[in-house]
Amino acid sequence: MTEPSLFTAAFALYAAALIAYFAALFARRESWDRAGLGLAAAGLAVHTAALVLRTVSSGHAPFTNMYESLSFLSWAVVVALIVFGRKPRVARLGPYLMLIVVALVALASSPLMPKEAAPLVPALQSYWLWLHVSVTLLGEAFFAVAFVASALFLAAGAEEKRRRLDALAYRAVAVGFPLFTLGGLVFGMVWAYRAWGRYWAWDPKEVWSLITWFVFALYLHTRIVMGWKGKRSAWIAIAGFLAALFTYFGVNYLLAGLHSYA
Amino acid sequence: MRRFVKLFSSVRLAIVLIILVTLASVLGTLIPQGRSAAEYAARYGSLSGLFQALQLTRLYRSGWFLGLLLLFALNIAVCSATRLGAKWRRAFGPAEAADAQGLMASRVKARFRAAPPLATAGDRVAGLLRARRYRVTRTASAGKLELLARKRRLGWLGSDVVHLGLLVILAGGLASGLAGRRSDLALREGETAEVPRAGFSLRLDKFDTEYYPQGGVKDWKSTVTVIENGVPVLTRVVEVNHPLAHRGFLFYQSRYGRDWSAPRLELEVRKRADASFARAVTLRPGERAEVGDPDVSRVVVRAFVPDFVIGEGGRVQSRSQEPRNPAALVEAWKGEERAFSGWVFAGYPDFAQAHGGQGQSPLAFVLKRYEAGQYSVLEAAHDPGANFIWLGSALVTAGLFLAFYWPSREVRVVLEEAQGRVEVIAAGRAAKGREAFEAEFARIFDDARRLS
Ligand code: HEM
Repeated sequence: MTEPSLFTAAFALYAAALIAYFAALFARRESWDRAGLGLAAAGLAVHTAALVLRTVSSGHAPFTNMYESLSFLSWAVVVALIVFGRKPRVARLGPYLMLIVVALVALASSPLMPKEAAPLVPALQSYWLWLHVSVTLLGEAFFAVAFVASALFLAAGAEEKRRRLDALAYRAVAVGFPLFTLGGLVFGMVWAYRAWGRYWAWDPKEVWSLITWFVFALYLHTRIVMGWKGKRSAWIAIAGFLAALFTYFGVNYLLAGLHSYA
Repeated sequence: MRRFVKLFSSVRLAIVLIILVTLASVLGTLIPQGRSAAEYAARYGSLSGLFQALQLTRLYRSGWFLGLLLLFALNIAVCSATRLGAKWRRAFGPAEAADAQGLMASRVKARFRAAPPLATAGDRVAGLLRARRYRVTRTASAGKLELLARKRRLGWLGSDVVHLGLLVILAGGLASGLAGRRSDLALREGETAEVPRAGFSLRLDKFDTEYYPQGGVKDWKSTVTVIENGVPVLTRVVEVNHPLAHRGFLFYQSRYGRDWSAPRLELEVRKRADASFARAVTLRPGERAEVGDPDVSRVVVRAFVPDFVIGEGGRVQSRSQEPRNPAALVEAWKGEERAFSGWVFAGYPDFAQAHGGQGQSPLAFVLKRYEAGQYSVLEAAHDPGANFIWLGSALVTAGLFLAFYWPSREVRVVLEEAQGRVEVIAAGRAAKGREAFEAEFARIFDDARRLS
């Protein structure tokens, strides 16, 4: 199997998982939920093989263009889904997280994204690149979980369900925040220092990572120290995820800076 | 002073400051930073004056933004300091007297009766707690035994470690801003330059560009030698992503280029009438070379451009610094008579753009080689803040993992002897992961009850 065909197979499995999840949602059948999870896990396995194959054939980490990084981000969201979505009754995040995964994979597959593994320009040849991008995207995947849980919280009616969703969003932030801090800020600074000689340059992409981080710091502090829960917390988590998305997509297309290749 | 402490220990202030710094940061990405006044005038019209007065065009270095960060630092310092004592005692301090009433007010609790004697019942509970890795302190008084069991005690201090790390990072940023220096060293191969304010020099021995087989640059490598007091002390290869560190300075491969001001050119002189005639001369622009032939006595190169193009007003220019269309302006003399004058193109040997409309010249030239020395630009950075940044980052990361993945747990137990029975009351609390803690707590005290 080649990398593109594995990637397409993973796409198909994810799409099937999406259908199973939504069928479970509308038909209220728990067994289909488990089918969704199973298909997502199968897709993850195939997707992992695709990423490994690409790494081996290109000789560098699979995060050097938009196609590769979208592919890895969707992979990370599936990982987060499996971590948080194993207990079906907890929250039913599955359908919506899978929707995000399928949207990311579809975007990666679109003809807009050049797929060739280009040789790396010198600035990208660093193992800090691996660490920086992979840990950051993994952190952002957990922010996606917090986002979905918070959005469902705002839509949900039953008190018990709301309580669970609120706690789930917090747990996802608690996993994502340290990862994002380590990958996005710390490893980013180390890499910038090795490559450009300055750990921080107030480049728009850096600043937007910082903004994302501040929003989640706000989430934690309003919650722990001022006891905010529920609605206000949910809106902050949503804002944080949108900031992360903007850091990921918006900065590249709307604001110019050093990170223009990433 | 009291009011100062009260204000700066407040988390509400922290929240206001986080919001303000965030909004300011957003603004700084919407307004391009550090451009020229003319560019702002073109972009924002009459607002540009206001933006510049408010320092929005160099926002991250503006006094008010640094002031916000300073308030933020004060807030973190005062806030953490005022709470640290209590948290330290919670984690490591001696047990404080617990009363049964207080414990029963807790959310996570258990109550049962055990068989006497008191000491045995106490040992049993302590044993169960120890089996789950709790550290148990006991305080005995007449007819009463208190246990304080704690585990993962450092977790209570996770947020303090994070906050301390943030202070160290802010201090590092300040140190970088005040004492950081950077300068560019542009060096040709073989050239030596003094590193400003460093007390040593750097020599570029060699510069190489590596290419991928498909084309495209793979790497730039400068081989450099550090020279101290005239003595070479070490030789290293500096590549992108692999700077050289020496005496508090770091040297980065920043840019490179070719020095086209004085390339070595090899010209071949030919005669149209005599196909067997070919004479090679080597020279640099501005130099002359004697040929000594009856038809050509000498050759002069007036100018050289690596990427020939005719610009505005018919003037010759170089479009880039890459040798895409190298051309030399050549003159040839036969005694005192000019026999040739025109541009000779390396890429188009049959085409010479002759000057002066003298028609077909009896001479022809081939630009066989053009070699320019490479120069490499190394950036020398001295940043005394960087080590603070790494220390602070390590603290922040460690603190986060402590706060979120090393959740402290605490169990207090009061055993009292009454009417020939031992009354056991237990309560617990956890920094995080309440559900897992409640399950553990329930298991411990179910066992305790069963064994009693
Ligand atoms: C962006 C900067 C900040 C970050 C990243 C940060 C990080 C954290 C983290 C990770 C926690 C623990 C959260 C948890 O256990 O769930 C925490 C708790 C806390 N933070 Fe911050 N913090 C920041 C700024 C501040 C500031 C400026 C203050 C000053 C008032 C502050 C006061 C507190 C307090 C009072 C707690 C309560 C928990 C405790 O005391 O252990 N934080 N912070």
